[in-house]
Amino acid sequence: MHPEAAIPTGAIPESLIQPPLTVGKVTPGSLDDQVLAFPGQRPPMKWYLALAFTLTILMIGVFCMGVTVYKGIGSWGNNSPVFWGFGIINFVFWVGIGHAGTLISAILFIFRQRWRNAIARFAEAMTIFAVMCAGLFPLLHVGRPWLAYWLFPYPNQRALWVNFRSPLVWDVFAVSTYFSVSLMFWYLGLIPDIASMRDRTSDKLRKGIYTVLAIGWRGAASHWQHYEKAYLLLAGLATGLVLSVHSVVSFDFATSVVPAWHMTIFPPYFVAGAIFAGFAMVVIVLVVVRETMDLKNLITTRHLEVMNKVILAMSCIMGYSYMMEGFTGWYSMNPIIQHTFMNFVSGTYGWAGWLTISCNIFVPQLLWFRRCRTSYFWMILVAIAVTIGMWFERFSIIVISLHQDYLPSSWRLFKPTMVDYGILLGSFGLFFTLVLIFARVLPVIATTEVKAILPDAQPGAGAEGHFAAGETGTTRPMEGPSAPSHHGDEHHV
Amino acid sequence: MSPNKHASTLLWGATALGALGVLASYTTAGHERFWANWVLWFVLMFTLGLGALFIVALEHLVGARWSVPIRRIPERVATLLLAAIPVGLIALFALPVLYPGTRPEAAQNHILAGKAFWLSVPFFSVRTLIAFGLCLLGLAVLVGGSLKQDFTKNPAFNVRARKFAPAFMAIFALVITMIAFDWISGLTPEWYSDILGVYVFAGAFLGGLAATTLSVLYLQDQDRLQGVQGDHLYNLGAFLFAFTVFWSYIGFAQYMLMWYANFPDEVIYYKVRLTGSWRVVTIALASLHFVLPFFALVTRAAKRDPKRLRRVAYLMLFAHVLDMYWLIFPVLGTTPHFSWPELSFALFFLGGILLWIRGAMQKGEDMPVGDPFLRKGLEFHL
Amino acid sequence: MSEMTSKSQQSCAVLGIFDTPNALMQAIPKARAAGLGTVEAYTPYPIHGIDEALGLRKSPLGGMVLVMGVLGALVALGGQYWISAIDYPIITGGKSAASWEAFIPIMFEVTVLFATFTAGLGMLFLLNKLPFFGHPVLSSKAITGITRDRYALALEAEDESFDSAAAAQVFREAGAVEIEILPAPDRSPFLTSDFILRTLGGIFAACVVAGLAMFFLTKWFPLLAPMKHMQDQPRLNAQKGSTFFKDGHGMQLPVAGTVARGYLPTATGTQDAAATLVNPLPRTREVFAVGRKAYANRCEVCHGALGNGVGSLTAAYGGKAANLQAQQFRDYPDGKIYWVLVNGKNNMPSHAPYLSESERWAVVHYVRALQRAQNAKDEDLKMVAR
Repeated sequence: MHPEAAIPTGAIPESLIQPPLTVGKVTPGSLDDQVLAFPGQRPPMKWYLALAFTLTILMIGVFCMGVTVYKGIGSWGNNSPVFWGFGIINFVFWVGIGHAGTLISAILFIFRQRWRNAIARFAEAMTIFAVMCAGLFPLLHVGRPWLAYWLFPYPNQRALWVNFRSPLVWDVFAVSTYFSVSLMFWYLGLIPDIASMRDRTSDKLRKGIYTVLAIGWRGAASHWQHYEKAYLLLAGLATGLVLSVHSVVSFDFATSVVPAWHMTIFPPYFVAGAIFAGFAMVVIVLVVVRETMDLKNLITTRHLEVMNKVILAMSCIMGYSYMMEGFTGWYSMNPIIQHTFMNFVSGTYGWAGWLTISCNIFVPQLLWFRRCRTSYFWMILVAIAVTIGMWFERFSIIVISLHQDYLPSSWRLFKPTMVDYGILLGSFGLFFTLVLIFARVLPVIATTEVKAILPDAQPGAGAEGHFAAGETGTTRPMEGPSAPSHHGDEHHV
Repeated sequence: MSPNKHASTLLWGATALGALGVLASYTTAGHERFWANWVLWFVLMFTLGLGALFIVALEHLVGARWSVPIRRIPERVATLLLAAIPVGLIALFALPVLYPGTRPEAAQNHILAGKAFWLSVPFFSVRTLIAFGLCLLGLAVLVGGSLKQDFTKNPAFNVRARKFAPAFMAIFALVITMIAFDWISGLTPEWYSDILGVYVFAGAFLGGLAATTLSVLYLQDQDRLQGVQGDHLYNLGAFLFAFTVFWSYIGFAQYMLMWYANFPDEVIYYKVRLTGSWRVVTIALASLHFVLPFFALVTRAAKRDPKRLRRVAYLMLFAHVLDMYWLIFPVLGTTPHFSWPELSFALFFLGGILLWIRGAMQKGEDMPVGDPFLRKGLEFHL
Repeated sequence: MSEMTSKSQQSCAVLGIFDTPNALMQAIPKARAAGLGTVEAYTPYPIHGIDEALGLRKSPLGGMVLVMGVLGALVALGGQYWISAIDYPIITGGKSAASWEAFIPIMFEVTVLFATFTAGLGMLFLLNKLPFFGHPVLSSKAITGITRDRYALALEAEDESFDSAAAAQVFREAGAVEIEILPAPDRSPFLTSDFILRTLGGIFAACVVAGLAMFFLTKWFPLLAPMKHMQDQPRLNAQKGSTFFKDGHGMQLPVAGTVARGYLPTATGTQDAAATLVNPLPRTREVFAVGRKAYANRCEVCHGALGNGVGSLTAAYGGKAANLQAQQFRDYPDGKIYWVLVNGKNNMPSHAPYLSESERWAVVHYVRALQRAQNAKDEDLKMVAR
């Protein structure tokens, strides 16, 4: 057989044609004019209103954090035996949110999913902000945040070292590594974009700031060569890192002997859950950004649809994990484990268990329908459900397992206080405040990366649009013809 | 021609010799040992075939294009499932011998009594038969349809496979978990670990990938895969590398959690495998399944070097056999059994698998010539 | 000759600007063939295949990252081992001090940390020699296009003999839409990587000084703490009064009848009530040894070695202890003797605080043995003879 002769000439079925990654005529120049112009413009009124709103929420949180620092952890709802309350729930929740950013920037980069380029910058920024929110909670939970540096092993006059067999110390290493690596990854990606901003602005002050931040980037081919190599290596390392971080977070629970915490499936299941929650948050934020900043030509319906498919896939993995946990609970024939698992679906906190299962497993099944994957209403509905569901998943894991364990005489219910609620609210305030500021100060789309995948951006690519035709995976609609409005000007294939 | 014929004679001879050894071991080596060997090779064949079928389904699911030119290879390896089914049906006779949950004494054990129905021979067999049926369905839709497309050139197959792929993933999850919990964990029914399905999946996927890589290199040597070049090999190498790490991640996570919590009913699993001669096997498994392939494939150049890929793929297949040995054989006792019965089984089944795959390599065209994305796949560059 | 004339207007590079990546790629071989200087390209984003076209050597970054990653793994493993197993071995969770399993997560994180920082900072600082703010391209007119949508090819001077006119001609022929001759920078830039490294070194030195200052400050003024609210909790202090209880004491006596865990008293009633108690200890050599020792320590001084009420106390002070060999006591049941040990009798104080329950019962056995020794029967002699 000779392959050249055998290559079929048959048409590709219409339902398998991928819409292009950009809509309309997008050139490198027009891209810069569209995206890099935001930092130079005065934000609209609604931006100020939104900022005022998120800042108010943040201030509530800051007040409650002040109460916590002043009065101590007693102002929280934690009790014995529910020693871990909102502090850990929120920590795990926010670290999880961050994972989507690393998935998009690293794992999808390695898999050469080019649709990631348009949303990578925003997702990476969200990673950093989410990890900042996450870091707040252990910091407050240690009780004396000004001594938090004791968590690191450093030679000290007390001649003490940290205990390396403690999963909480692993957490310190994992989360701080994760934050610094994410920050560097983000900054490296920003350098060429900041260089573009430096060269297009005439404002003296901003030019000065951009000049320093761009550290003299000039786009030399020899620099790009090392830059691309570094980016690839970072992506590979960050892939391992993103798996490890939430695995280490899961070790906080799984290394213990608490019933329904000591589950071997916890590490991969936590990672999947983190990506799940993170993607939901990315969808929520990107929809708003896409609408209010008029980026519909760069963040297309295809982007949103693909993200919704990832959410759906993760929802199925979560479903598998829940089923395996339930099954193993039964299979273990261990009355204590069985009792705890029954508490997830009945008992005082059964409602939280059912809320978790409904929001994480049932509601996302809507995304099997193309209409739901492409409609704002449904995708936002699912994304919000997932966010709520994933928060309550952590609530269920922590509170349900702890409030009734081996010693029935010390069973007790958990009741959060207003301070707990206030800090949770405040963390959302912090996150969205940072997101709002970011959207107006730095390029929200990685223009350099998008430029590189525009049609005709690379030598040898003809008008056929090597990239726009989208030869990479996870990207095609599943059924039905693609919406015509999202086909580009060029015709593909 | 003649070396080919030579190899064929050699294979048939080895298989026949192995068959004699297998028969002899049934009568002289004891039933438990015979059936442990049999279950090992059934699970091995089944996971290899299932892993290969997963590769095919994954391509359809995510719409990967680079792998279209080599898709026929995992499709052919996946037909190993057909051979695994009769082996599995015979393996059902191992249940009363090897699986404590099926014995009458289980009723006295309070842990086993509670799930006696689940572990009983009838329900166990029904689950296995359902798994076989589901695999045949997957094979028919994904592989059968693809072979048919060679003649029809009908792109409707791509649409159908695309729609079927998510369903197959559910089937796959179910079947691989069933294999893990029934056939492997069923040997020690008091012990439980909910990650075991993922662990066996990682091993199966690696095994399927290694078999695919070897077959691709074999066909390339015969000049039957023109147009498949370094970048395709690189992707195979990268997947091998990534899943080596994934397997170790899952394996380590399971071990570390059990070691840390130190529950007597859990650590017994590792206590057996970390004392005496089993400790050597465990260390060998960790080195051959992780350390060696990791460092062999860590650089970018290594992932596209056919010579190195071939060696690593052989190593991965051996490590997969060792993995199954490590999972199954401790049921026989605290010292690893390895002597002529194991060698005979290896000769018989390896010979059979090789003969089967050699035969399968003649099935249909070497590339899915009816697939409209074939050209795109051949044009693939990193 | 050109060396002399062009000194005053020395140019260091010539840029040719192209509109498309294809045009750039086609011009590269021509520029390289001209052999006038180093050929470099400036583009808004990485162009595929430009490394080979320009003849760039492979990036050594991968090797650097691998080495540093392995180093990170070793540092983390070694550090954790030294800290946990050598310098500060504490047993937690029943694990051995050198349990490698627990070191793996941090080992992995530190490996990634070392490797990523090598990749990122090594790329910027070592390989690309950034930050560098003085490169002539940065102050060229073309830079606004280069970071936007133009593709520039440069011929850069390798020595004094650089012929900028010829270079411009090469680009013109290759189809450049614009040509720019860059003058040599007239002053050395101040924000070089050297400068940055020196600044960082200075900051590090300042940190060391500040750290030492903090160390001595906290050493000399050890009670400096930002907040003390957690120390100001209501609690009982040793040797301090408390208003919480009526009697003003912080520590309270146990409630009457409090019994220590595991020490349930057995002889609390009258002596007659205790008569029914049965000695729980077997009559073994070990029990007698215990009884003998306890008797010698606590009883012999009054009751004498033979139990006849003539002890060293009698010799010294004429004290009269009970003669245990008397018929009255030989008729006592075991429980009554035990009761006396717990509660005391007449002048004899309670020995409960000094003898554990099993020691008391052992003493009872021993007293019985003493009585039997003084009133032996025929069978006993036979036993001894045998």
